[in-house]
Amino acid sequence: MVDTIILLAAVLVFPGGLFVLALGLGLKGVDRRIAARLQRRVGPPLLQPFFDLVKLAGKRTLVPEDACAPVFLGAPLVGVVAMMVAAALIPIQGVYTPSPILGDLLVLFYLMVVPAVVLMVAGSSSGSPYGAIGFSREMTMMLSYEVPIVLVVVAVALRTGMGQGDGITFSLTEIVHYQQIHGAFLLDPAMWPAFLAFLAFLPANLGIAPFDIPEAETEVLEGPLLEYSGPALGLFKAMAAIKTVVVLSLGICLFLPNAPDGLAGLAVQILKLLVVMTIGMTLLRVSLGRMRIDQGFAFFLKLPMALSIAGLAAAALV
Amino acid sequence: MNFLKILARNLALGPSTDPFPFGETFTPKGLRGRVEFDAENCTACRYCEQVCIGGAIRFSKTPEGMRFLLWHNTCTFCGLCEFYCPTHAIHLTEDWHLAHGNEDKYAMVENGLLPTIVCTQCGAEAIAIAPNPTAFKEPATEGQKEQYRHLCARCRRKFLQGAL
Amino acid sequence: MSLTRSQIVRSLSARSPWLYRINAGSCNGCDVELATTACIPRYDVERLGCQYCGSPKHADIVLITGPMTVRVKDKVLRLYEEIPDPKVTVAVGICPISGGVFRESYAVCGAMDQFLPIDVNVPGCPPRPQAILEGVAKAIAVWKERL
Repeated sequence: MVDTIILLAAVLVFPGGLFVLALGLGLKGVDRRIAARLQRRVGPPLLQPFFDLVKLAGKRTLVPEDACAPVFLGAPLVGVVAMMVAAALIPIQGVYTPSPILGDLLVLFYLMVVPAVVLMVAGSSSGSPYGAIGFSREMTMMLSYEVPIVLVVVAVALRTGMGQGDGITFSLTEIVHYQQIHGAFLLDPAMWPAFLAFLAFLPANLGIAPFDIPEAETEVLEGPLLEYSGPALGLFKAMAAIKTVVVLSLGICLFLPNAPDGLAGLAVQILKLLVVMTIGMTLLRVSLGRMRIDQGFAFFLKLPMALSIAGLAAAALV
Repeated sequence: MNFLKILARNLALGPSTDPFPFGETFTPKGLRGRVEFDAENCTACRYCEQVCIGGAIRFSKTPEGMRFLLWHNTCTFCGLCEFYCPTHAIHLTEDWHLAHGNEDKYAMVENGLLPTIVCTQCGAEAIAIAPNPTAFKEPATEGQKEQYRHLCARCRRKFLQGAL
Repeated sequence: MSLTRSQIVRSLSARSPWLYRINAGSCNGCDVELATTACIPRYDVERLGCQYCGSPKHADIVLITGPMTVRVKDKVLRLYEEIPDPKVTVAVGICPISGGVFRESYAVCGAMDQFLPIDVNVPGCPPRPQAILEGVAKAIAVWKERL
């Protein structure tokens, strides 16, 4: 019983649920502010994503006539819940260690596919041609970036497992623990190709320029999100915010989890999130244009793929 | 890597955003904004009505005199009326604060009345013209000008012939 | 001064008005000014919490440019219906307000407020970006009352 309550708290309050939602929205606010500064603008207030969410909660939800209403309205809910659970799976060094009941890297991996699938379902159930285009683009992008990220994750798991002497480990807690003792993988030259491949995966998974092809506002009018309004759209925004934190903290977990214990560890974690977000998302977003879908697909089959294969080889052999 | 240099420069220079609407903004000199009409100077030649592209200017005859009406909501602020006005009675100010609620839509007008006068010579009805009529060349005394203003069209012609 | 919950929600929501543009047969002059207002750092609309959105279903404040042309009338009305309540409409430029230079043309339906409820007018041909910002600020005030 107590275990269940602790698990629920981990999923709903900390580090999943409310905490990760607030953190994600805060990060988004900082991101918009930095982007504005880089373009010589003042930018919105830091709390702008919260205002947006409050507003969306108060608006009317319209369901298109052609849409399949239960799927249309259920999709964002599934996405948010999946992301909350995913956030509870990721350890924060010195602060939080997930219960082994929840799962390991492989479960996290499946959960991280859910937002993309949810977007596809949303796009195709909305009955809008733009949604359908968004669906097909999301699918193409997912097929292209999933392979490199799998190889990256396997490389990290292999490196940790070999270091521990038992082949391969998919436990995130062990990966973090191993790096805490033996030094971060980011400082290990053999892991650099894998890290670069992860940096390429980051904007694609989060739908950020140059890989915001499925939700391209100027081309397909936000694609799958086109028909959503009010609270349902707010859920998608919440999902995107949580997903940002999940993906970024997965990166931190895999490559640079070292941190002191207690509150200092949490502060260090947030600092790392900010730095990775600024470099991996904001700088890219303001400086690059959008790729075409075929360019994006080809890009992932070339450079990140080669990098991730090299990373896997290096992790196994060096 | 040129864009990184640009981004760094942007960061160093800081925002170039105008404080408006939270603070003051600039208004370039010669901006064409709200139209101002000076009935005192108008000769009712109706040239402005003729050249107005948006059809914003209307003159209408009423018992009190000639009415001038300009509706800002169909004015293109092209400035032709000011350019063609022989007596500088119409002028585009630099005031651009024209946004208004829809309830004030038909209140966005510039009004003017050119009152009817009675000709001092023959007693016919006429419109008083500008204090500095273009037909009147120097040398003419102020008294002569004032006298000229209060005549009907026919008597004005006679007056000019007399003055010449 | 004590604030009720709905007042707090209202004042928070009023800080996030999303903009949507409808071009009802405009000559593009006003659209260029709208793009200027959105894209040029000097006029940064994001300070007001505004964000241009691609879908009418995300919009709160609608900016309409252009006289209502006969061909585009049905589409504009349909698009307007798709915007969820509460919404505020701003007519940008003299064309949607009165027809402007296209008034009384055979191809133009006439003033926009015969067909849609218009809340704020921003006259000009085209209005300068600051005037558009002023109009948006007025629209936000109207929107706050409607929430």
